[in-house]
Amino acid sequence: MDLTATPEQETFRAEARNWLEANVPAEPLPSFDTAEGFALHRDWERRLSDGRWSAVSWPEEYGGRGADYLSWLIFEEEYFRAGAPGRVNQNGIFLLGPTIMEVGTAEQKARFLPTMASSEIVWAQAWSEPDAGSDMASIRSTATRDGDHWVLDGQKIWASRAVWADWCFGIFRSDPDSERHRGLTFILCPLDAPGVTVRPIRQLDGDTGFAEIFFDGVRVPVENTLGDEGRGWYVAMATAGFERGVSLRSPARFTEAAARLIELWRTHADPADLALADAVTDVWMQAEGYRLHTYQTVTAMLDGTPIGSESSLNKIFWSEMDVRLHELALDILGPEAERMHGPHERWVDGFLFSLSGPIYAGTNEVQRNIIADRVLALPKGV
Amino acid sequence: MRFAFDEDQRLFADALRKMLAEQCTASQVRAVWDDGVGHDPALWARLAEMGVIGMLLPETDGGLGGSMVDAVLLFRELGRAIVPGPVIESMAIAGPVLAGSKWAAGIASGELVATAELDGTGHVPHASVAHVVLTPEGLLDLAGAEIDDAGGIDGGRRLGIVRGGGLVDHDGRSTADAVDLDAARDRAAVATAAYLIGASEAMIDMAGEYARQRHQFGKPIGSFQAVKHLLADALLKVEFAKAPTYRAAWSVATGAADVARDVSMAKALANEAAHATSRAAMQVHGAIGYTWEADLQLWMKKVWALERAYGTTSWHRRRVSSAVLSS
Repeated sequence: MDLTATPEQETFRAEARNWLEANVPAEPLPSFDTAEGFALHRDWERRLSDGRWSAVSWPEEYGGRGADYLSWLIFEEEYFRAGAPGRVNQNGIFLLGPTIMEVGTAEQKARFLPTMASSEIVWAQAWSEPDAGSDMASIRSTATRDGDHWVLDGQKIWASRAVWADWCFGIFRSDPDSERHRGLTFILCPLDAPGVTVRPIRQLDGDTGFAEIFFDGVRVPVENTLGDEGRGWYVAMATAGFERGVSLRSPARFTEAAARLIELWRTHADPADLALADAVTDVWMQAEGYRLHTYQTVTAMLDGTPIGSESSLNKIFWSEMDVRLHELALDILGPEAERMHGPHERWVDGFLFSLSGPIYAGTNEVQRNIIADRVLALPKGV
Repeated sequence: MRFAFDEDQRLFADALRKMLAEQCTASQVRAVWDDGVGHDPALWARLAEMGVIGMLLPETDGGLGGSMVDAVLLFRELGRAIVPGPVIESMAIAGPVLAGSKWAAGIASGELVATAELDGTGHVPHASVAHVVLTPEGLLDLAGAEIDDAGGIDGGRRLGIVRGGGLVDHDGRSTADAVDLDAARDRAAVATAAYLIGASEAMIDMAGEYARQRHQFGKPIGSFQAVKHLLADALLKVEFAKAPTYRAAWSVATGAADVARDVSMAKALANEAAHATSRAAMQVHGAIGYTWEADLQLWMKKVWALERAYGTTSWHRRRVSSAVLSS
């Protein structure tokens, strides 16, 4: 065990810090769930990519730096420290990208990864359907083979970034006689293809961060199949593993937010209110604990231990911590927290955003079932 | 940067776990409770022979010369088996304080049992089985002392009220000034945090086993989501107390600047995790969990004793608070 950084890691950190200090926009960008904000975030991604900082853990041939996961964590610490913009192509770079690297063909890697790293193509995810939420295996959207094309029909919902994104990825039932996890195929589809209709859904925060996607006889070449036909569930699970594992919410996001919360406490709270001081301390410990836990997990991954169902523990932990952290910020602000547009807008927005955490990427109740079944080996329930 | 234990550390912990699974079973712990002494001399000798008791003592004293990073997984295994007797007090508190003294070789070999009383309670844990007690006033020789049994919620950690006995010299360091009590308390807190984590893991295993076997409404109760979620939440707390505890061990071993903050974070989180796990495990056991007969009580009572020893949750939280909230 050695919890100090190596000279190489310190050099990497300094390089990232210098680049970010010179390049991060001075003013925060508008939300990427608005037309203007989306375009500005795509520009930012292009600048990141030009500096080869958009996908640091990817191999160099696809626009990355071939950095190991520990270096990725260091980059994330610097990224959040610098207050850099949110990642508009997160669905691509952190979810689909690693999946393509794992199961994609050489042709698919060359075709999709460089444009993903540069955000020339921004990706939306299309998992859920009106009747397939927590019960994702109930998917009914279909992919019907017609020569060398798939014909897609059906409806997806809660598709993040779909309003302004270029392409989407999702799973479709390709075997009409199949049930549940079998007979599903993972397909990549441009959102401007004939027959695709995107209907924005206004979120709790007022922005249109997700959408419904209707597929009506959409023709997609079979080259857009990721992984084997009929094996889409397992390809998607690999993606979901990454999503709930370490890549979706790096610890730096929370240690940085906890540091801002402490600053808010110092400037706005009554230090004699020990209950509030204790609550802030608790959430700081959670953020710090998540950071330490992630460093331990990542060291194990570098030693060759794959991340498994324990990633469900991470997802519950960070999502509940994030809600608590923002609730506390609003408590410190008191009646000021009612004001949507003011000096504390970021905390109010952050509170609304945090509430999605316990729901998306598999509700925390589903995660608890996964932990009980696969980690604690309890008998299967309903 | 490498947040992992090395192979020797893992193998030693595995060997200890295997030994304890055979030589410190629940029925053996119960026998120690029932005999009213709270100590198993044969097991103690075996632990000393393996090098566990002397892990933090230098080789010149017959110890292994290890650091808290070497010891922390051992404490977790001792907790998993709720090993009775003053393991934390001998290994983490008195042993390192007495390193290099005439007492040290006896501690490492297991012939001399040391305990400690740092909480200022008026009772001494494990007094009736120990030869010497480290106190804030100095080292107390128990030869000739009178000890009244004060019971204790945990039968593997009996409390004694000591009358008589004399403060003795330990190689010129007989006064409290010579002993770094803060460092001793920090070692005790980290060792206890790891011990609580091990005990919690054992309780989750016991509750899981019960939930697989016990049927109601025609199904194993472990198939009900309410039961699953109780145990998943307990596991969540235990898993996220581990890395902070290992980091605290590293901070103690390296004398890190933030050692007080790191130690207190570990003890606060381990306390909370162990307490929550004891409640969840008891709830899963239902009425059986409220009986003397069920082994779960041995683990729960160990937790309820240790979560308040060497700093309560709120005491440690306040210490973290003063470190992180002060500008």
